[in-house]
Amino acid sequence: MISNDMTKMTLAGAATLSATLAAVEIDSAAVDKAFVTLKTYDWGADRNALNPIDEAINASHGDTAALRALEKRLVDALESGLSRSAQDYVCRRLRVVGTVQSVSALAALLPNEETSHIARYALERIRNQRATTALRQALPKISNKLKPGLIGALGVRRVKRSVNVISPLLGDSDINVARAAAHALGLIGTPAAAAALSEYAKKAPAAMKISVADASLLCAEQMLADGEKAQAIALYTELKGEGQPQHVKVAAMKGMLTAAAQK
Amino acid sequence: MANPKSEPTKDPGKSLGRRTFLKAAAGVVALPYFVPASALGQDGNTAPSNRIVMAGVGIGNMGNGDLGAFLGRNDVQYVALSDVKKNVRDSQANRVNEKYGNKDCKTYNDFRDIMVRDDIDAVHCATPDHWHAIVVIEACRNGKDIYCQKPETKTLREGKLMVEAARRYGRVVSGGSQRVLEDYRGIVNACWNGDKGNVKSINVNVGPLPLECNLKGETIPDGFDWDRWLGPAPWAPYHPYRCSGSYNINGTSWRSFKDYSGGGMTDWGAHHFGGATFAIDVRELEPEEVIFHNENGKKYATCRFPNGKLIHHNYPGMGNLQVVGTDEKGPSKPVPTYAGTGGIYGDFIDCVKTRKRPFRDIEFAVHTATVCHLFLAAYELERSLKWDTVKQQFVDDGQANRLLDVARREPWVL
Repeated sequence: MISNDMTKMTLAGAATLSATLAAVEIDSAAVDKAFVTLKTYDWGADRNALNPIDEAINASHGDTAALRALEKRLVDALESGLSRSAQDYVCRRLRVVGTVQSVSALAALLPNEETSHIARYALERIRNQRATTALRQALPKISNKLKPGLIGALGVRRVKRSVNVISPLLGDSDINVARAAAHALGLIGTPAAAAALSEYAKKAPAAMKISVADASLLCAEQMLADGEKAQAIALYTELKGEGQPQHVKVAAMKGMLTAAAQK
Repeated sequence: MANPKSEPTKDPGKSLGRRTFLKAAAGVVALPYFVPASALGQDGNTAPSNRIVMAGVGIGNMGNGDLGAFLGRNDVQYVALSDVKKNVRDSQANRVNEKYGNKDCKTYNDFRDIMVRDDIDAVHCATPDHWHAIVVIEACRNGKDIYCQKPETKTLREGKLMVEAARRYGRVVSGGSQRVLEDYRGIVNACWNGDKGNVKSINVNVGPLPLECNLKGETIPDGFDWDRWLGPAPWAPYHPYRCSGSYNINGTSWRSFKDYSGGGMTDWGAHHFGGATFAIDVRELEPEEVIFHNENGKKYATCRFPNGKLIHHNYPGMGNLQVVGTDEKGPSKPVPTYAGTGGIYGDFIDCVKTRKRPFRDIEFAVHTATVCHLFLAAYELERSLKWDTVKQQFVDDGQANRLLDVARREPWVL
């Protein structure tokens, strides 16, 4: 359901877009037609029918107002109820042009098993605190099947605050969730992440040993890059100890040597 | 035990010890890429056999060819195969078992079951491109060497992660284009022999660009794990064209589509751009800039390397692998080549034994893939882009930086 206010915003956005499109010589009628097509677009439909939207996005590079107007129309379309194929198309475009303006609509798709990934496809690329918050807030609300994706997204963003949310998932009975948590902590690569990995390593089941060791190596490398040399060496020291596979021990020794060579 | 007639190579890691540490310690400033062969029992002192115990991941189409090439070597023994198609798994396992006269070859739907086996030294990967990085990195994590089909990467970020994983664990990781060395010998030799003088540029004609696929769903064939075939890619309904391993790039194979490939730009581009970077000797480098041209609707692009050399894509009027140089006689240098015998496959196996850097080391392969991906980004955004080779990011272009990677479908993360 679109409110009156939202309708006005959409019209205003369309008006701004038309004016801007004229400036960059885009066929605004073709863009309008593509948005109409999008409403009934589904698997099997001609993908080329949506090309005017793609072309408008490229032609609007550097024109923030035009891009925001295009984004608004995409978000409105997404919220109006589209086929899975059309949702897929919109999220792919929002991957490139999405801003904070898209976060709410994308976040609404996260709990749904059919749309969670494609929403994240866009949301992951929006480097905005509200996008991070949306990912973090969705985590407890989604199924175990979907959790690895969200955890991975938080890991790639390397936000320190996510450590507290991710760390408890190391012990999850779902191996995919636990592995994603370990990897994300490795990517975040802070002393807090290292502490969580180190603590869990003491009790990790056999199926998690390699994942935790790999994540710990990632974590140590990241800390070393960030100037946390002492913490990195402490983690490497644990990783070259008994109970680790030989290739992990060698990797840890190489890491220690790299750390030793670092001023 | 893979074969009662010969004991498989022991887990390379198990023979590592203080000696390895001392060797590594000697290289504090420049750490070795790979674990020394002597530490792996390859110096003739401790290894029970020179036979490399291998597994294959993705064994249809190109994987079938790779399997045949490795299987034909008497210094290799296959013990495990993985594929998402049951009929492919079964028929290839029969092929392997017939070769060895036993029934030891195990098959798996999930490639991770191969990676956790301690008795496997090396893996070949010939999945569709969207799986490569996940498989290669998982192999490295588990202490295995790996030969990966081209194009090795699907995104720019994947390349960085694959090289880091290979170096972290000291693994031999070879890319899979045999054509880089074998198909362009004339132009490579001319450049390396100094016949072209000071080389300025080379052109590659290749295409097309990848498509977005919107094919309507059909019934999934029995024994085909469609969800696992899609893996990290966005969900889509099954269609035979979407997943066909055909070498066509015209919309009837996975090579045509953005979710699984970079289209002709990366598929044949892995060969041609690999040959081009080899010929003009920029294998060690990445471009700093990709310049997009649009002259009256004729679109082409140019990558500029830090040393000023250029690689053009579809430059008007230029032939494929056409070099522009100063044409006076320049200095000659020896042309790198494979180790061992048996082409690129023999090179990989030799390097697994000796711990040397393979001809198509993953870093060279990734540099080639990076050229392809930079061109793809420039064409997708229709503008020139600057590339920070250290930060592995586009310079001052947030939109372009969104193209560095894709979100993977759960449970796959990188």
